[in-house]
Amino acid sequence: MSAESGAARRPTTARWRLWAFVPLVLLVGAVALAGGTGAPVTELVRSNPPPADEFAIRRVTFEPGEIRIRVTNPQQADLTIATVTVDDAVVPYELDGPGTLGRLRSATIVVPFDWVQDDPITVGVTSSSGIQTTEAIPAAVETPGVSGGSILGYGLIGLLVGVVPVALGLLWLPTLRQTAPEWLAAFMALTAGLLSFLAVEALSEALTLQAALPSAVGGAGVVLLGFALSYLTLTLLSHRLGRGSAGSAGPLRGLALATLVAIGIGLHNFGEGLAIGSSFALGELALGTFFIVGFMLHNVTEGLGIAAPAAEDGEAVRFSRLAVLALVAGAPAILGAWLGGFFTSDILAVVFFAAAAGAAAEVVLEVVRFVARKAPGGLTSPHVIGGFLAGLAVMYATGLLV
Amino acid sequence: MAGVPLIRFAAGAEGGVERFAVHDQAALGHASMIGDQVPAPGAPGALDSLLLPTPPLPHEPGRVREYRLQAIDREIEVAQGVHFAAWTYNGTVPGPVIRATEDDLLRVRFVNGGAHPHTIHFHGIHPANMDGVFEVVDSGDEFTYEFPARPYGMHLYHCHTTPLKKHIHKGLYGAFIIDPPEPRKPAKELVMVMNGFDTDGDGENNFYSVNGKAFYYAKYPIEVRRSETVRIYLANLTEFDLINSFHLHGEFFRYYPTGSTDFFEYTDTVMLSQGQRGIIEIDFHHTGKFMFHAHQSEFTELGWMGFFDVVD
Repeated sequence: MSAESGAARRPTTARWRLWAFVPLVLLVGAVALAGGTGAPVTELVRSNPPPADEFAIRRVTFEPGEIRIRVTNPQQADLTIATVTVDDAVVPYELDGPGTLGRLRSATIVVPFDWVQDDPITVGVTSSSGIQTTEAIPAAVETPGVSGGSILGYGLIGLLVGVVPVALGLLWLPTLRQTAPEWLAAFMALTAGLLSFLAVEALSEALTLQAALPSAVGGAGVVLLGFALSYLTLTLLSHRLGRGSAGSAGPLRGLALATLVAIGIGLHNFGEGLAIGSSFALGELALGTFFIVGFMLHNVTEGLGIAAPAAEDGEAVRFSRLAVLALVAGAPAILGAWLGGFFTSDILAVVFFAAAAGAAAEVVLEVVRFVARKAPGGLTSPHVIGGFLAGLAVMYATGLLV
Repeated sequence: MAGVPLIRFAAGAEGGVERFAVHDQAALGHASMIGDQVPAPGAPGALDSLLLPTPPLPHEPGRVREYRLQAIDREIEVAQGVHFAAWTYNGTVPGPVIRATEDDLLRVRFVNGGAHPHTIHFHGIHPANMDGVFEVVDSGDEFTYEFPARPYGMHLYHCHTTPLKKHIHKGLYGAFIIDPPEPRKPAKELVMVMNGFDTDGDGENNFYSVNGKAFYYAKYPIEVRRSETVRIYLANLTEFDLINSFHLHGEFFRYYPTGSTDFFEYTDTVMLSQGQRGIIEIDFHHTGKFMFHAHQSEFTELGWMGFFDVVD
């Protein structure tokens, strides 16, 4: 009886599954119809504004006697490069392809130009309809090419602002292990505070960067995607780690929690490296001693943030595990600096800053969950509240140095 | 800090080698570009109707000189590949050269074929009802301006419908020459109307030119003979920028402000406010290519630059 009804239901199910294709087929038909009659619709509404005809200037690089301008057509309609100006002067130029760009197509404009080291410079690209898009570069600096020296240089920048301070911060571990439980809770709260700060900072950075992108490729949706991707990945990861260490679904603790914090910080440092690398390559950043010291002070607190949950474990952590944690949290800055220094990275930067925000938010949640259950006095103890606020204050104060 | 020299190394920007390399490749500097390498629109001779005026006629009081000007909305190429939705008299910016001898009776029939109301306002001496201020000609309508041509000199005409800035920068203007009763001495005569184009509508000019095409006379130098006086009827119809100027290389010239008296200045640079004009007379001492341009460097590099090719 039941077998019979099951057999009777199966063709019906299959039919309804097939039905799922019907809206798709109809959609294709509707799109074709609307596409074919698009112009009359515009006629009926009587509104047909001209395209903006502005280029998206993606990257301006400087080589001896030469400026290279990478432009993208961000709009629906074709866009033609007509004239190119440097500091309000028409200049001869060469193109690496056709001058008319379809939607989201890019071209590189090569301008022979005797630019002046360290001077501000403005490049402009005028469309065939006369609309000029300009990009002001605060200081013209030769863009480092990919060479042994520049790879090493960017690597060192990443090492100095990422790995070194995190590793130094981790050296507080033995001291933290001797701390009274309520003070350790304060340091855990401090970790939550500084991660919250990083999350807000990264989110704001992601939103700012996406606003500067051509609207066709940008959009706040990209930020949400990056955020959700890392947040949910880390949720899954923490779930796995939690089971692995305790065998039960309690809050993540100890080294497992420290690992998660390190991953969150690592993602943030990747974005930071990306930003430093590209700003430096494009001459937007004076990378001096002050800047390096500022970033080191800023990031040393990140090491402390990883050390605090690790200290809670009580048992000695192997040095190699600490080194791995320092690399997980710090080394992405090196990768970021390379990527930012050598490639166009605007979309990548948005995604990674959004991912950093998502990761930091997830880790804050883990830390808070831990503090709520395990710390003496829970979330409302003065140590925890003070620690959290101190975390924010420390990040703000050291951020002023950058 | 150990980091600092390493970072400089990564930047690779301070070495003397690179600095010299920069200057080695500066041969393509744009200020001196001439001939085929110049990014300029238009074919050879394309601007001849604006550059070369019809010859002057002898003094004959009461003779009727008839012109027909039509306002036409038209897209024109003002710089290489850059198209501008212009308002024109007879399809060009500047409009055609109007020429009469003093005491001729000028009869200018104006037909408005544009989408907006326009007028023609002539500089010179004429009755108030021929001034192109109150007689606004609607789209599709027409009006005939009639008045005796005086005083002699280099003048100009332009639309005087409000908003003025819009009607002038869109291209409704041109040169208006009134010849003296006593003819000027023979010369190679040229007309140059200095102007600018705000192609993106931000209230600032994107390109500058004489006679409407940026860098045109750099691509096609104007050939003149050393034995012949060169007479330029020069007017400034640049909108937005308060002044424009004319500077000649390697030579001096006589400049007659407005060209209505014998007074002249001997110089190589003159400055003209919006609406100012005059007559330049050059007797070249040397053959060769001599640059002429606005002495506002910005205007020069945005199109207001050309060459005389002086030959024997």
